[in-house]
Amino acid sequence: MQEATFLILTALAAGTQHGYGIISDVAEISGGRVKLLAGTLYTALDRLRADGLIGVDREEIVDNRLRRYYRLTPAGEERLTAEAARLHAHATAALRRLKLNLAGGVA
Amino acid sequence: MSELKGRDALEPSGEDNVADSASLERGYRRLLAWYPRAFRRENEEEILAVLMACAQDGQTRPSLEAAVDLLKGAMRMRLRPRAGQPRTVFAAVRLMWAGAAAELAALITVVVTAGGVRSAVVHSHQAAAGAVMTHVVIDEVGMPLLIGIWLFLAWAMSQGRDAARFGFTSFFLLITMGLIVAQAQGSAVYAPADLIAGAAAWLFALAAMALIFVPASNRYYRQQAAPVIHPAG
Repeated sequence: MQEATFLILTALAAGTQHGYGIISDVAEISGGRVKLLAGTLYTALDRLRADGLIGVDREEIVDNRLRRYYRLTPAGEERLTAEAARLHAHATAALRRLKLNLAGGVA
Repeated sequence: MSELKGRDALEPSGEDNVADSASLERGYRRLLAWYPRAFRRENEEEILAVLMACAQDGQTRPSLEAAVDLLKGAMRMRLRPRAGQPRTVFAAVRLMWAGAAAELAALITVVVTAGGVRSAVVHSHQAAAGAVMTHVVIDEVGMPLLIGIWLFLAWAMSQGRDAARFGFTSFFLLITMGLIVAQAQGSAVYAPADLIAGAAAWLFALAAMALIFVPASNRYYRQQAAPVIHPAG
């Protein structure tokens, strides 16, 4: 899973969001490091919808402009959980080995 | 917040703002025009809303960064199979584009070399001159039509129209006959490039024919032909 995809799913994990909301949320989650642009966001959303990982929750018209809210589907929750667990396992392994190395270096 | 208000107060007039954002919107729409039609129908207004929400005050043109990102997205969308489309159909449509490209290459060759062919034929093959010149004219007129048919069939095929499969089968038989006739007239001698492009296009068509009649494609076209009931919401 690409980082942008992972962050988009993470942005939707807590509740429904519209496109602009996802962009600001992803910026916040990544500490300002990942700035999603519209082309990247919507090609990712299109793929996620086709794969059934997200769905459209509702549509609103605000200032004459279409605003569509997206939500995570159960399949999306499952994928995000699996991916988060995978990343977590890798990160834990990395930290554990770094600690062992540090301990070895000190001893 | 107060800073924003201050800047607003400095704006010369509301009309300038409206003109700026109209010009920016036109710029974005020009970029979005590169996306596939189905994607635009579904997403254009929404993407535009996000792009306009991200715009700076007084911005009149899309930034280079946003433009590159939108064009990259358009390319990704065009290289991606449509929802539910099996790989076989996707590959067949790409082969049809390749077929159109091969015909276009042949057309360009014919147009560029027509003068040379004319004089060479008149000098050395007096007897065949009439037939060859007829062939060149037929190519110049007929090939744009042929390219059009390739593109139309590729489009219809990607739309999941079952009729397109039978259209393409007829088309395939037609170009097969065309190739045999050209071979019989000895076009390999005076128009080798034309014949090579024709043969390449024919091979693409043959591969596409095989791909659109495999079981996975059959299922897709049957499913497309049946009325689809969309669940509410």
